[in-house]
Amino acid sequence: MTDVKRDVVLDAEAFAARVASESERSMPLGAYADSRAVYYLFLGADSGPYALSRTRDDDARALPAVSVTCPVFAWDEREMADERNVRFERLPDARPFRAACDGTMPDAVVAEGAGLMHFVVGPVHAGIIEPGRFTISSGGETVVHLDAQLAYQHRGVELQLEGLPAPSVSRNVARICGGCSASRSFAYARALEELAGVAVTPEVELARLVLAELERIYNHLADLAASAAGAGWGPGFARGMALKEEAMRLCQLAGGHRLLFDAIIPGGVNSNVLTDRGRCREDLVRLEAAVEGYLRSLFGNASVTARWHRAGVVTHETARALGAVGPAHRASRGNVDVRTFAPYGAYRRLPVRVARATSGDVFARCRVKRDELRESLRLIREALAELGDATLPNAQPMQVTAGIALTAVEGPRGAETVAVHVAADGRIERLHVVSASYRNWPLVARAMDGNIVPDFPLVNKSFNLCYACADR
Amino acid sequence: MFRKSLGIRHLVCGSCNGCEHEMNALANAFYDITQEGWDIVASPRHADVITVTGPMTVAMRRAAHDTVEATAQPRIVVAIGDCAAGTGPWVDAPEAGAGAGVELGAEIVVRGCPPTPDAIRRGLEEAAQRLSEAGAT
Repeated sequence: MTDVKRDVVLDAEAFAARVASESERSMPLGAYADSRAVYYLFLGADSGPYALSRTRDDDARALPAVSVTCPVFAWDEREMADERNVRFERLPDARPFRAACDGTMPDAVVAEGAGLMHFVVGPVHAGIIEPGRFTISSGGETVVHLDAQLAYQHRGVELQLEGLPAPSVSRNVARICGGCSASRSFAYARALEELAGVAVTPEVELARLVLAELERIYNHLADLAASAAGAGWGPGFARGMALKEEAMRLCQLAGGHRLLFDAIIPGGVNSNVLTDRGRCREDLVRLEAAVEGYLRSLFGNASVTARWHRAGVVTHETARALGAVGPAHRASRGNVDVRTFAPYGAYRRLPVRVARATSGDVFARCRVKRDELRESLRLIREALAELGDATLPNAQPMQVTAGIALTAVEGPRGAETVAVHVAADGRIERLHVVSASYRNWPLVARAMDGNIVPDFPLVNKSFNLCYACADR
Repeated sequence: MFRKSLGIRHLVCGSCNGCEHEMNALANAFYDITQEGWDIVASPRHADVITVTGPMTVAMRRAAHDTVEATAQPRIVVAIGDCAAGTGPWVDAPEAGAGAGVELGAEIVVRGCPPTPDAIRRGLEEAAQRLSEAGAT
């Protein structure tokens, strides 16, 4: 059973102070509420996610907002107030988090002053991009403040899934967000397996590692291609996107779906996973050679990397204060990668060399992704070698017992966290998803401070966050 | 002279972005729609076709209708994916609609979760054909 530390004895002030001090020691993952309590999630070394929770005493007294001192939880607490009616006192940003019933979005926060102008981009963007509203306050070319209003993609996923049998919604969970589907399915499967007391075989663990790393590969290739485009290098974009296509075809071959939907399911992997391992190995060798050539040409192009240096800097302090995860965290001197910090599945046996960089700029984030691409290809090679021709057993229907499970896996953009509360009849009482994109969006806004307006696409694409999993 | 050209404006209304990955693939070297004279255009004012994805969300409804309205006639709305067609996984979600394609009057529906780039291409060919018959392109 996941360790949920209940601190019911603490009064509200003491609880908020305890959460704030825990955030100093441990990596915060997110926060959410159900009708009974509020839960603040952290990632423990080796042990994985755990929660500090406090019963909602019918909200007779408002809870002091932790985000006053810990901006990590700023979005989480706004969401809890908005969607679950948690009463906070001194919430630093008391605007609604999402659209009103009539679709009206909260006003943007803008910088006021002589010579400053404001302009709005979105929610419909010029390319093939998800909707969001960016309000830029600038003095001439220099960005003074960027307000990112998301939630245009909000479907009400979590509320919809409440009351449904937990194993039956894995198809929905896989479709909360396309770009990190495999990672989320992985986290959800692990959560249900924990509640059901089911252990999957080492072979299934190896297959899951292959799928999770394939997802990282196609995402990182797309990110690097977009970062080349942001620097104005068309051929680097075209070649990167062609390689992404080859990676998606490998996903189809290895996982039965170009975006790996439903490849990882509770209790195992889909029956069409890794059926033709010989061809997977051959295609992987070809992809690896092509990727290596691409990385050399991209990072060897000084006119591209010159544009990446010192653009969109996120300092270590900012990354820490805002709770950055994934490559964005590791590019700003962070050292947490869930795969090694709290290893799970086959990562317990196949250690990952964690990629890091120090400068916190576009270059650093691209560099981390470059090194992770190489490492992912190596991990897949090793996992496939270890897997050999071993059979992957079919997933069996599982009996999920009542309880709370918290899991986190390292997705392409960082920690993908799932919290699931299951009732005695096996139905979902509460499902909460914290995506790496949700954690990192506030970072994109701060990365633009002091940068020039035309660099927004470049800086934005160096994070390349999704909207769907942040909005749900 | 311009009979083949097609301006495509893409509109996301609550999609999981799986359809967007496949829409983006249309521009890569394997599918390269620019060879057909097709282009993803930045403004609905430049578009002949509006491709829509997602179940529709409360927050996007107004902007989505405004975008379609801003597109000159004759125009064709193409629903991309099961969500836009009204059969995706979010049919019962409290903040989701009946399908972006359904709400925005799509004449062509491309099924799939997500549909493959080839399937999307066939949907766009159908749109080009209909616009051509209408004497628009």
